Amino acid sequence: MNMEILEWIRLLAGGALLLSGLIIFLIELYGVFHMKYVLNRMHAAAMGDTLGISFSLVGLMILSGINFTTLKMMLIVIFLWFASPVSSHLLARLEVMTNENLENHCRNYSDLAVLEKELKEEKEEEKTGGEEV
Amino acid sequence: MATLEMIYEKMYIAVLVILAVMLFVCLIRAVRGPRVADRIVAVNMMGTMVIVMIAVLSLLLEEGFLVDICLIYAMVSFLAVVVISKVYMGVYAERYQRYHRNENKENGEGVHEHGNP
Repeated sequence: MNMEILEWIRLLAGGALLLSGLIIFLIELYGVFHMKYVLNRMHAAAMGDTLGISFSLVGLMILSGINFTTLKMMLIVIFLWFASPVSSHLLARLEVMTNENLENHCRNYSDLAVLEKELKEEKEEEKTGGEEV
Repeated sequence: MATLEMIYEKMYIAVLVILAVMLFVCLIRAVRGPRVADRIVAVNMMGTMVIVMIAVLSLLLEEGFLVDICLIYAMVSFLAVVVISKVYMGVYAERYQRYHRNENKENGEGVHEHGNP
């Protein structure tokens, strides 16, 4: 009787984690269709690569019990944690290199000091605006 | 125990069906994507979903070796992204260079004609 209750708990925990992985994949798909530009879409796609797959594989690990299979699944998750940022970086570089009218989608600052100056000015404007109100 | 096994099987099949539907939606994104990077992102997403599908299948069929295939699939899809983006960068640079060389040649010929009557 006791064993059976444990089995049910395992099923519920694994199923919940697997379901949350699927929900993360759904959010990823929504983000990819909702965003308008590749550099924004990549942000949504990277979420599924790390969080979605780790949720679903942890759920499957719980369902499969302690096996050699569990270790292999952990290896997949760890490999994807390393591989996904690298591929995202390469894709972003590809996009920035090959897009000729990048200025329509985003601003790029070749000098970081310019960005810092603009941010400081914005903050000061906000502060003075707040005092007036 | 029989009910538990039935629930496991139903759950795995439901997850597989949902993942297959999402895979088709990814495919639509890959076909529609206006730029090359869009398509590569969509294919990468499809790879992730296929990994989860194979892992679920290995538990459904109770075949441990399918998880090995998962690992290989992850590595191959990462390699594909790296290689395709590098190759496309090279192709783009070559095209860009050729375009500019043609422009320069046309200008050069114009100067040549004016310089030597």
